[in-house]
Amino acid sequence: ESRSWDWDSPRCRAELDEIFFRQHDYIQSGTPEHKDFWAFFERFQRFKTKREMSGYDLGLPTDYDARYKINLSVCTKDIEERLGKQHKGGRSSSGPGRQEIAECRLSYLHFLDFTQKQSFNKLAKLRREQKNLPIFQYKGRIIELVRRHPVVVVAGDTGCGKSTQVPQYLLSAGFTQIACTQPRRIACISLAKRVSFESLNQYGSKVGYQIRFETTRTTATKLIFLTEGLLLRQIQQDGELSQYQVLIVDEVHERHLHCDFLLGVLRTLLENRSDLRLILMSATINIKLFSNYFNSAPVLQVPGRLFPIQVTYRPISPEEQVSRSEKLDPRPYLRILQGIDQRYPPEERGDLLIFLSGVTEISTIQEACQIYATHTRRWIILPLHSTLSLAQQDKVFDIAPPGVRKCIISTNIAETSVTIDGVRFVVDSKVKEMSYDPKAKMQRLQEFWISRASSEQRKGRAGRTGPGVCYRLYAESDYDAFAPYPVPEIHRVALDMKSMELGDPLSFVFIDPPPAASIQTAVTYLKDQGALNSQGELTTIGTLLAQLPVDVVIKMLVLGSMFNLVEPVLTIAAALSVQSPFLRSSQQNPDCATARQHLHSNQGDPFTLLNTFNAWQVKGERGGGSRKWCRRRGLEEQRLYEMVNLRRQFKDLLKSQGLLESEDGASSSGSRGQRMERLSERRKLHQLKRDHEQQESSKRKVLRLEEGQEDSSGSDTEDRGRQKKDKEKAGHDLDIQEVKFKLRHDVSELHDAVSACQDLSSRKQALLKLLVCRGLYPQLALPDEHNTARKDSDQVFHTKNKQGVVIHPTSVFANDPEVLHVPEDDGRETKKDSSKHQLLAFVTLLETNKPYLTNCVRVPALQTLLLVANSVDSNADCSRLVVDGWLELEFKLPEEALKILSTALSLRAEWERFLLHQLGHSSVQESSTRKVSRKDLEKLSDGLVRFLHYTEVSYSIRRLTALQTQNLYIGCQAEETTFSGVNALFPGVEAKPDPIKGGLCVTSFFNYNCLSDSRDLYSDCLRAFWTCPNCDLYMPLTPLERMQHEATCRPPGEQQQPEESVSAKTNSSMSSLTRVYHCDICDKDLTLTSTEILKHKRQ
Amino acid sequence: MATSEPPPKLFVCELCGLSSPFSYYGQKPPNTRAIVLLEECFVTKDPFSPDKEKFLILGSTCSVCSKCVCAGADCSLFYTKRFCVQCVNKHLDQFPHQIRAELAKKSCSCPCLTLRARSGRSLRADQ
Ligand SMILES: [Zn+2]
Ligand SMILES: [Zn+2]
Repeated sequence: ESRSWDWDSPRCRAELDEIFFRQHDYIQSGTPEHKDFWAFFERFQRFKTKREMSGYDLGLPTDYDARYKINLSVCTKDIEERLGKQHKGGRSSSGPGRQEIAECRLSYLHFLDFTQKQSFNKLAKLRREQKNLPIFQYKGRIIELVRRHPVVVVAGDTGCGKSTQVPQYLLSAGFTQIACTQPRRIACISLAKRVSFESLNQYGSKVGYQIRFETTRTTATKLIFLTEGLLLRQIQQDGELSQYQVLIVDEVHERHLHCDFLLGVLRTLLENRSDLRLILMSATINIKLFSNYFNSAPVLQVPGRLFPIQVTYRPISPEEQVSRSEKLDPRPYLRILQGIDQRYPPEERGDLLIFLSGVTEISTIQEACQIYATHTRRWIILPLHSTLSLAQQDKVFDIAPPGVRKCIISTNIAETSVTIDGVRFVVDSKVKEMSYDPKAKMQRLQEFWISRASSEQRKGRAGRTGPGVCYRLYAESDYDAFAPYPVPEIHRVALDMKSMELGDPLSFVFIDPPPAASIQTAVTYLKDQGALNSQGELTTIGTLLAQLPVDVVIKMLVLGSMFNLVEPVLTIAAALSVQSPFLRSSQQNPDCATARQHLHSNQGDPFTLLNTFNAWQVKGERGGGSRKWCRRRGLEEQRLYEMVNLRRQFKDLLKSQGLLESEDGASSSGSRGQRMERLSERRKLHQLKRDHEQQESSKRKVLRLEEGQEDSSGSDTEDRGRQKKDKEKAGHDLDIQEVKFKLRHDVSELHDAVSACQDLSSRKQALLKLLVCRGLYPQLALPDEHNTARKDSDQVFHTKNKQGVVIHPTSVFANDPEVLHVPEDDGRETKKDSSKHQLLAFVTLLETNKPYLTNCVRVPALQTLLLVANSVDSNADCSRLVVDGWLELEFKLPEEALKILSTALSLRAEWERFLLHQLGHSSVQESSTRKVSRKDLEKLSDGLVRFLHYTEVSYSIRRLTALQTQNLYIGCQAEETTFSGVNALFPGVEAKPDPIKGGLCVTSFFNYNCLSDSRDLYSDCLRAFWTCPNCDLYMPLTPLERMQHEATCRPPGEQQQPEESVSAKTNSSMSSLTRVYHCDICDKDLTLTSTEILKHKRQ
Repeated sequence: MATSEPPPKLFVCELCGLSSPFSYYGQKPPNTRAIVLLEECFVTKDPFSPDKEKFLILGSTCSVCSKCVCAGADCSLFYTKRFCVQCVNKHLDQFPHQIRAELAKKSCSCPCLTLRARSGRSLRADQ
């Protein structure tokens, strides 16, 4: 039944009129209103058609409600109840009514929506920023290149985003097991943080870092940032480096030797790993060099996004140059501040960054600039160097108020490690750099010509956020004369080469070989450290050092782990590895000095640090209490926390090397209840940490104009300023350090550790000092003999390579030098003789305006030298010893000297045996070394302590002059020196003539009778009757014969060489001095001792 | 170190190109307790929150044209349903005047919408 309906036909309309507009209806047919209706009807229809034409009805509700904008809903308790129809009847009248609940729900929904939008906006912003980086458009190209080529060079200037983006591109392309190396530890941490944030994994472990002993790496980690040194370490353990699929070597243009070395190693490694991908990232300098080194690897060049920087050369005039003794002239720097004020209106923002060499220079310039700043009220002067408290360092990131600029005066820390936004002006001068001086063999601050690479880096700091200006306080010709890249320290690399069995360091194929002389120096350094023996082979200690990322303190740790002195040694090693917790500024503060008094140890600075750490730990309560405790004593709390962390890492390291038994899960024990309690506490702590992290994310304060106006270098003022804030905070704010600390450490375990090293017995202390000293060796200093007559401030010391050094004012010995003096009246015949001479072992020789010894320990001279020195030379009767070619010891009574010498020899032999065993290298040796029992160890430490404490031999000690060292040795003797039947005088060591010094090498460190004063002709006279205390032997013996006997003859109670009788041993050692001598005159081969040969010749 | 695993599913906005891996698509994200979404969404763990259970809605599909769009105000609008900006503009007349006023205000305050999109206008909720 199809009917046609036409709205426009009058018939159809009339039919509708019959229905709607009848005579008695509201509107009647035929009226004007009726006519209006049909007109409206037509318009309305047209409107509807239009809507249908444009698509369809969206079906939106007619009434507006803001709630419709929210795309989520929440099922709360009231809804649950309603759905469950569990109307709990009479809800108390005071509770919320239906309306209140509805209101609250609405707010809640809006809140959820708000948080969604907030996070989404962060994500959108992040993606936008990534898209805007110059490197973004090369993403596809980079991935493609890496897929197709084993080596790719990505070159881009600062700001192009390569360091953060390339690793992410690889991740997103599905690569895993990616390692990205950085020259600096701090960059590893900050990059890992940034990249994990950008790859939306800041709370996961997909991206991690690994430095020194610290790692955030887990099984889920796909991308790891690590130092070049650490990657080298890993190559040593796994030559194939099979744990990685992709290696990114960043900042190759910096040309640190480590990096060059790494590239050399990787070049060989790639031959065996065709699946490995290597990406070199560099600035746009010298790209060809890298590409060529790797078989013309493809290069992708990315333009940078650095804003233009105008460079102005302003060489310092001769009259403003600093002479050696004077302070830095601040005028050139002040002129720059003035110039900026004149040229740039204050509304144009932009801060100033001045690079200087050291703390002294910084405070000089700071002082002068502060006066100018106070006067103009247009500057806030802020220092930046690593000895500042962290709170003070943080200030450089704060914002200056409108119309005021920050002037940051910094060491080279701001060159690469710290990025400060908003810097528009940079002042670069010929900065002194702390470096290892191979000639003087010490750390020293010297005026080095900085490299072009680092002055470019500094310049770049001006163009990060807008166009900038770089003032160079030297001539353009100076710049051209700079070396292209910094001169590196080479000794670590030499050690690596040795342990990786890469053969002679001098023949390694470097991308650009370092000077041969510096490699030679490095090898010498390693020999001094005992890492290489005189033949240049790796020693046991050297092998261990090569596996570990730090040097000096590790020696201490290894030694300490042997003697059950692990706990205090751990603390000392950690304390010497971080910056001193003692704030410099508090030194003049008498209150601090008094409060600190009981922490001081006159044994030396490491012991003061040990006391301090222990006292702080015992204090127990951390948080606000600890902060107060530290402030009272002028301590930087942060450093103590660093020590705790490092200490733990050292401990893990020792455990991982099998040098320390791991405790059997004491912390996991306890009753179920206790465990649950611990668990819930940990959960709470984790929550606190998360809360803190969330809050912390972005807080930049606005600086006060008065900032830095008070005391120039002190953090006291800052402390005082902060005290109030701290107090306010303390109430409700949590102490994040405390939380982190508790999360990381079992507090009770730490307390045990402290009690283990508190109140060291004098016995343990002596041993500990010896270990510390052996760790620090060869860093020894001899007090000047006239110190007793000098003022406290004029005490002078001598090291092997440097005369006239002084003790750093922060050292305990600076205030208490008397403990280093030889006691006045102990019945000495001549002034120089005493049994109480002491030496200082020190951590660094710091050369600033004076050469300073830092972190010193005092040790008994003779005993320590005999136990740790690399070279001890004697004359014929051993009344004169020369140690390490610079210290001469003379004894009144040769018999005493002999006795102590032979004790030292046997102690050292025993010690070495234990050490070998400890390091697990004994297996090849005789099986007897396996029998290292606790009892033997006790005996050894007893022996060492007795030796240290009760050696009462009178001797004199002095530093040899340059002239004296020239004619020190007899030198190679003319006659054939083939010893017949040279028996092992000491286990494992063959005595043989020394071809250079002359004399006889008795052990690796002791050379008998090589000093040129030895009266060999009369050596018969040196035979003296002697009774062996052990075996009742009584006969005339030369000193050497006597020592040989003593080395093998044990007291009756401890016979341990069953295979040889004592007397047989004696005889054999008697004959060991004889050698085959061919006499040309009588044409006979004779077996004679050297004395006999001489006699024979005369006949 | 983690070895290779299946690549994560990627959400990409068809309008602005914003991309991010997502871990869930639907109306009831896991571990969100009582929260129910009123549309099928691409969801991931909120990367800016340390809390594992906090989620983030990346976007969903336009109820009119089925384009996959992000939750950003430059790309889409939710009003009982998800609409991409293109569809919103096409059917503007059907939206209540409050919504239209909001959209107008957004486009009036800055004459150049494309520039806005790049420089990242913050959302109302942020202000
Ligand atoms: Zn979008
Ligand atoms: Zn649409």
